[in-house]
Amino acid sequence: MKSRSNILMVIAVLLSHINGFAQIKHAKTETINVSGRCEMCKKTIEEAGSSKKIAEVKWGSKNQLATLVYNSEKTNPDEILKRIALVGYDTERYLAPDDVYAQLPGCCQYERTLRPASTSGHSEMEMSHEHIHSGSHQKTSQESSLPQNEVQLQAVIESYFSLKDALVRSDVTVASEKATALIAAIKAVDMNQLSAEEHPVWMDVLKSVTERSEIIAQSAELSRQREAFALLSDEIYKLVKVSKQETTVYYQHCPMYNNGKGANWLSKESAIKNPYYGSKMLTCGSTTEKIESSVKK
Amino acid sequence: MDIRDFFQKKLLPVSVFLYMGSSLLAQDIVRYDLYAKDTVVTYAGKEKRAIAVNGQIPMPTLTFTEGDTAEIVLHNLLDEHTSLHWHGVQLPNKEDGVPMLTQLPVKPGGTHTYRFPVKQNGTYWYHSHSGFQEQIGMYGSIVFLKRPDDPAFRKGIDDLPAVSLTLSEWTNVHPHQVQRMLATGNDWAAIKKNTVQSYGEAIRKGHFKTKFVNEWKRMEAMDVSDVYYDKFLINGQEESQLSEFNGGDRVRFRISNAGGSSYFWLTYAGGKITVVGNDGNDVVPVMVDRLIIGVSETYDIVVTLPVDGVSYELLATPEDRSGFTSVFVGAGIRQLVSRLPRLDYFEGMKMMNEMMKMNGDMHDMGMNMSLQQMDMNAVMYPEFSKQSSMDGMNHDSHGVISNELVTLNYGMLQSPHKTILNPDIPVKELRFELTGNMNRYVWSMDNKVLSESDKIPVKKGEILRITLYNNSMMRHPMHLHGFDFRLLNDKGEYAPLKNVMDIMPMETNVIEFEANTEGDWFFHCHILYHMMAGMNRVFEVGDYQNPLLPDKTKAYKHLQRESNMLHFMAQNDFATNGNDGEAMLQNARWSLGTEWRLGYNNRHGYEVETHFGRYIGKMQWLMPFVGFDWRYRKMGKDEHEKNLFGQVNKKDNRSAFSLGVVYTLPLLITIQAEVYHDGIVRLQLAREDIPISRRFRAGFMFNTDLEYMVELKYIINKNMGVRAHYDSDMGVGVGFSMNY
Repeated sequence: MKSRSNILMVIAVLLSHINGFAQIKHAKTETINVSGRCEMCKKTIEEAGSSKKIAEVKWGSKNQLATLVYNSEKTNPDEILKRIALVGYDTERYLAPDDVYAQLPGCCQYERTLRPASTSGHSEMEMSHEHIHSGSHQKTSQESSLPQNEVQLQAVIESYFSLKDALVRSDVTVASEKATALIAAIKAVDMNQLSAEEHPVWMDVLKSVTERSEIIAQSAELSRQREAFALLSDEIYKLVKVSKQETTVYYQHCPMYNNGKGANWLSKESAIKNPYYGSKMLTCGSTTEKIESSVKK
Repeated sequence: MDIRDFFQKKLLPVSVFLYMGSSLLAQDIVRYDLYAKDTVVTYAGKEKRAIAVNGQIPMPTLTFTEGDTAEIVLHNLLDEHTSLHWHGVQLPNKEDGVPMLTQLPVKPGGTHTYRFPVKQNGTYWYHSHSGFQEQIGMYGSIVFLKRPDDPAFRKGIDDLPAVSLTLSEWTNVHPHQVQRMLATGNDWAAIKKNTVQSYGEAIRKGHFKTKFVNEWKRMEAMDVSDVYYDKFLINGQEESQLSEFNGGDRVRFRISNAGGSSYFWLTYAGGKITVVGNDGNDVVPVMVDRLIIGVSETYDIVVTLPVDGVSYELLATPEDRSGFTSVFVGAGIRQLVSRLPRLDYFEGMKMMNEMMKMNGDMHDMGMNMSLQQMDMNAVMYPEFSKQSSMDGMNHDSHGVISNELVTLNYGMLQSPHKTILNPDIPVKELRFELTGNMNRYVWSMDNKVLSESDKIPVKKGEILRITLYNNSMMRHPMHLHGFDFRLLNDKGEYAPLKNVMDIMPMETNVIEFEANTEGDWFFHCHILYHMMAGMNRVFEVGDYQNPLLPDKTKAYKHLQRESNMLHFMAQNDFATNGNDGEAMLQNARWSLGTEWRLGYNNRHGYEVETHFGRYIGKMQWLMPFVGFDWRYRKMGKDEHEKNLFGQVNKKDNRSAFSLGVVYTLPLLITIQAEVYHDGIVRLQLAREDIPISRRFRAGFMFNTDLEYMVELKYIINKNMGVRAHYDSDMGVGVGFSMNY
C-alpha cells in the first residue's frame, strides 16, 4: 500500500513536471545572474519569478544563476527579473529596492555584488550615519554636564520619552521594557536632592507615576499600555513644569483618543508623533504648550 | 528644427536687450502650430480612438522664455469642437481657452490663434477644455524659462538639465461611458480593482461590523478614486529610460499631472527628492522621501544619481495603487524603488465610519485639519504599520524612528520671496463648502451645481479671500483660472503661490488673490468627472467685453447645460419567467425612470411603473415623485386582492396615477410610499446590489400589496450578468441580465 502510494506520487510529480514545461507555449530559455544565499532565497526567487503557464524560474544557490523558461509571446525576461528584484534579490538587470533587501530574513542577506560600487565621494546613507553619530556624542556630553539634582528627574523624564517612542512604534515589548526602566529611574530619585519647587510635586505624583508604569511594564496589551500612558503623561507634565529642562519640551494633544475625550503627551520634537495610535495616525494631534529649555547651552 | 535651441542662441541676447531698453518695442514672438487629429492607440491591448496633436501624445512641450509673446495656432482637424486652455498661465481672459466662457469652440476644420505675453516662469501645462478630449490625449507640458539675468535665478537649480514629465492614465472604456457609469452607480471599476469591499470579504477579514456600520451610515464601498484605468503613463509611455545622465548628475524634472482623476505618489530609487517648484512658482527647496501630486498640479523636483553605471527608477503610483509607471534616470543596471502595497480598505472604512455623521456631514473631531498635514488615508497604508514593526525590532534602544518617511504637505511649501498682498486693498470674503455624494455622483459647491448658480461678481482690483471647507468624502483639486493665489499656511508673508489646491475631506483652507485681470474666470475641481458633474463656479471680474463671445449670457447658459448633462441607463433581465428591467434618464437633480415586469403569459401578468421625481438635499436620499402605473394580470398564482391595509387592489388591468416619495434608509434600503388617485396606499421596501462577494449581488423587495421578490446576481462584465430570482407574481426565474 505504502509503496504504491509512493509510486503514484512519483508519477504525479513527474507528470506535473512535464506539464509544467508543456504548459508554457512559445517557450524560450534564458540563464541570468540572480544573487541569493539559501534555500529560503530559492523559494522566494522562484515563486516571485514564476507565473502560471507563462514563466517558470529555477534558481541555484551555488552558481547564483536563474534559468527562466517563459512564453515569449506573453512575457519577457525583464518582467520576470523585475518581479524577482522587487522581492529583494538583485539580478543582472534590476537591483532590489534597498528597503526590501533590508527586510529580508537574516539568513537571506546575501552580498550585493551585482551592485556597482560608489565611485566618487560617499553615498548619502554613509553621510547621514556620520551625522547621527556626531549628534549622539553631543547629547551624552551635554547630559554629563548637568548638575546632580537635575539628572535626578531628568532620568525619569528621559525614560518617559523612551516609553513614549516605543508606543509611537506600537511596540508592546519595548514599551514594557521602557516602563521597567522608568520604574528603576523613579526608585533612584533621591528626594533630598530635589529643589524646593520639585519636591512637593514629586511627592504628589510619585504614587500614581509608579502605578501607571507598573501597569505598562506588566501589560502585554497595547491598548492597556496606552490607557495607563495617558494618565502617566498628565503626571509627568506636572514634573516637567517644575523641573529644569535640558531641551525644549512640547506638550501635545490628540483629540481623538478614548472616543473623542482626548489625551496628552510630552515630546522633545515639535513634529507630532502620536503615541496613542502609532503609525495609523502618526501625525494626529497638535502642540498645546511649548515648555522652553531652562539650561543655557 | 529645435525652436528652443534656435531661440536661446539667437534670440535671447536680443530679447535681453529689448527688455533693458523699452518694453514698448516689439517683443519676441515664439510661434507653435498645433494640428489636432484623430488617431488610434493600443495602450492597453485594444485599438481605441485617441487624439494626437502634431502626431503625438502627449501634445508637444511648448517652451518660451519670460518676456516672449506666445503665439499658438490651433488647427482643428477633428470632427468635433475643440479648444486649448493654458493651465496656470496668467493671460487676457479671451486667451484662456474655455469654450462658451472665454471663446467660442473651435469648429471642425477651423483654426484659432492664441496670443499672449509670457509674464511668468516655471512649469505649466495645457489641455483641451472641451468634452472628454483631455482624457484621450489632449494634454502637454509648457515651460516658461527664467531669464538668466533674473535676480530670482537660482544657481544650482535653474541651470540644471531639465526634463518635462507629463503623467496621465488610460482606460479602454470611453471617458463618456466612464462618466455615465459613475453617475448610474455601475461598480464595474471596483470589481476590476478588487475594491468591492463585499460582506463576504468583510467577514473573512473580521470586519463585518465595520462594513455593517458603513452601510448603516448609507455609504457605499469606499475608495480613493472611482475610475478603473488599464494603464498609467509618463510622457505617453508606461516605462522609459533617460540614459543621457551619469552618476553624480543632478536632474530637474518638471512634472505635471495631466491625469483625468488620479493623484500620483512620486518616489525615487536614488534617495531623497528635493522639491523646488510647485504650480509654476519657485518654492524654497525642501527634501522629502515622497510627495503626492494632485490632479492638474505641477511640481518641479531635483534628484541626484548617486552612482555611475546605475539607472534609478522614478516611480509614479496612482493614489489607489492600482498600477504604476516609471522612468529610469541614467544608464546601466536598473535600481528599483519598492512598490506601494495595496490599500487596506477596511481600515479606511473604519475611519470613515468615525468621521461620518448620520446626516452625511463630515465630522473632524476637533482636529482643525488643513494643508494635507494629516492624511487620513494613512490608516490604509500598509507600509506604515510594516515599517513601525521593523523599527521596533531593529532600533529598540534609541527611541529614534530612523526610517521614517518624510511626505510633502502644503505646510512645508514656502515662497522664496514675499507674497503678501497690499493691506490697503479692500477684501471680499467668500466661503464655499465642497459638497457631493457618491451614491448619485453629484458634486457641487454649497450644494449647488454650476447650472444652479450665477456668475460671482467681483470688482476689478479687489482682493478675494476664499475659505474652502471640504464636507464631502473625496479630495478635490480646486483649480483657479487666470491667477495664482496665496495658500495661507504658517509661512506668513512667504505663503506659497499656487493655482491648484488639493483639499482633503474635512480640511479647511484659505486662499487669497488680487483680482486684477478682468474677465470670466473658471474655478473648479480638476477631477474631470467631478467638473463634468457640476463642481464649478465662475468669477466675473469687472465688466469685461469679450470680442470672441458677443452673447455672453447665452454662452453661459450653454456652459451650465453642459455641466449637467442627462445620462441614460437601462437594464433588462431576459429570464425564464419574463422580462424584468428598468430605464432611467437623469441629471444632477431630476430623474425620469420606468420599471417593468413583463411575463410571457396573462397569468404572470405585465406591469409598468413610471416615476418622475426630483432628488432633495446634499446626500439626495429623498425623492418626491409623480408616477403612473399600469398592470394587467389574470389571477392564478399567489392571489392577493387586498393589501395590508385591507384596501382592495385589483390586479387585472389597472391604470393609476400616484404621488409618492422614495427615501434611502440606513443600510441603503429604499422605502417608497405612494398614494394612488383612487386612494390606495402602497409602501415598499427594497434593497438592490448588496455586495455578497466580488461579483455576487443580492437584492430584495416587498410591499404592502403583499408582493415580494428576492434576487441573486453574478456580474460577468460591465454590461452583463446572470440573475436568479423569485417573484411572487411570476415565480422562479433565471436569466441573463443586460445593462447599459
